Amino acid sequence: MDPQEEKKNIGAGPGDPQETESDLRQARSALLNILDDTEMARRLAVEERNKTLAIVQNFSDAILVFDEENSLELINPLAEEFLGVKEEDILRKKIEDLLNLPKTRALMEVLDMSGKDSIEKVFRKEFMMRPDFYLEITTVPLVMDSRAKGTLIVLHDITREKNIERMKTEFVSISAHQLRTPLSAIKWTLRMLLDSDVGPVTPEQREVLEKSYSSNERMINLVNDLLNVSRIEEGRFLYKPEPAQLEEVIGAAVDALQEDAKRRGLSLVFNKNKDLLPMVKLDKEKMKLALDNLVNNALKYNTTKKGKIEVSLEKLDGKQAQIVVRDNGLGIPTPQQSRIFTKFFRGENVVRLEVDGSGLGLYTTKNIIEAHGGKIWFESKQGEGTAFFIALPFA
Amino acid sequence: MAKKILIIEDEDIMRNLLDKKLQAAGYQISTAKDGQEGFDLLKKESFDLVLSDIIMPKMGGFEVMEKMNLDPVLKNIPIIVVSNSGQPVELDQAKRFGAKDWLVKTEFDPQEVIVKIKKLLGE
Repeated sequence: MDPQEEKKNIGAGPGDPQETESDLRQARSALLNILDDTEMARRLAVEERNKTLAIVQNFSDAILVFDEENSLELINPLAEEFLGVKEEDILRKKIEDLLNLPKTRALMEVLDMSGKDSIEKVFRKEFMMRPDFYLEITTVPLVMDSRAKGTLIVLHDITREKNIERMKTEFVSISAHQLRTPLSAIKWTLRMLLDSDVGPVTPEQREVLEKSYSSNERMINLVNDLLNVSRIEEGRFLYKPEPAQLEEVIGAAVDALQEDAKRRGLSLVFNKNKDLLPMVKLDKEKMKLALDNLVNNALKYNTTKKGKIEVSLEKLDGKQAQIVVRDNGLGIPTPQQSRIFTKFFRGENVVRLEVDGSGLGLYTTKNIIEAHGGKIWFESKQGEGTAFFIALPFA
Repeated sequence: MAKKILIIEDEDIMRNLLDKKLQAAGYQISTAKDGQEGFDLLKKESFDLVLSDIIMPKMGGFEVMEKMNLDPVLKNIPIIVVSNSGQPVELDQAKRFGAKDWLVKTEFDPQEVIVKIKKLLGE
């Protein structure tokens, strides 16, 4: 080795000032680079965050975010507007606090917050914030790496949709009302002719008039069905429930249809429970209508020779009564069973038979039963028959 | 002697039909097109029963009943209201005004009218 270099090398080791300075310079340079990168990353993160925040702040729905400890982490301007609050007044507040604030109490109650300390999973609920201001509320749990990070609540303004719904219902209601006037006039004029009040009527004339009369009756029934449906949708349907005996209401419904059953050659029986059941809170008129629809269907959709319809009443358990309307008629085809309670729906098998029906009966019945706090379900097999089950809570 | 019935009904067809039907059943009938006309007739002649529509121009059925309730003689005449909507709210209100029975236009049968009338007149 060159002696000059040797000299250098002998001195070059840890502790050597030249080496230390160069190391330090390198380290400093590296640190500066890291700082630059970090600063860049930080700026990018802030930019991203600002972009996201801008989206949230300008979003067309109201947004609220609760953190995993259920305190309010974020609220966007639209949410402030919808609730009539200022961000600074409610940010960081816990759910219990929000339940006690008048402006947020209603919302917390709808989210079913009282007594709980976490918001339920995903669900949509309609909520009237003020008359003529309706919201649809959606809650979404925020999860990251399978850990709960809080809850997102979105409030969507559905006032316009509600108004359209209301106009539709009003339209049906008004039309149906207007239709009743001429329909009742037709009913009466035909009746007079049929009763020979306007002169004698030949058998051929009578036949024609009877057809006219029965067609008109069908129209009247359809209009009544439509009116009922529009009243259900307007929430004007249930009148006044009072404690009553189911035996009486069912008995009346069955009696009213006995003649029809006889005419069709079908047997219609009512099997009561051995002992009188406890009373049920009923709107008698509506419950009779609900049962009418079921028994009527059983009568209509039965083409068997030894057709039998059985209505039975018994205790389902200590708290509920159970009514069963069972027939051995056409049954409901399996692919159609899921839609049987929807408005205007009629099974394929009965439409083909040209048996008359509006498709509104079961929709109306289901609404009535549920408005009474009850449940309705069925079992059916095409070609064998159907059984409808109703559970109603005792008063 | 034939019992006298007053029919207050603004729909011409309804009024004429009820008129014809009840006359054929043996009653003596007077008719009015609205509550005002009806009430005027009530003050002038004596009737055994009133059959009245509810919604009418000039004066409706409820107002007629209200006025009848204030009159010592008229308040005793039995009334059957004729309803277009058949809504329980309306029928309940009719009961509170003193109506003894009711009919729903699209549902009833001429025979049913006569049965209700006979019942109220104690025939």
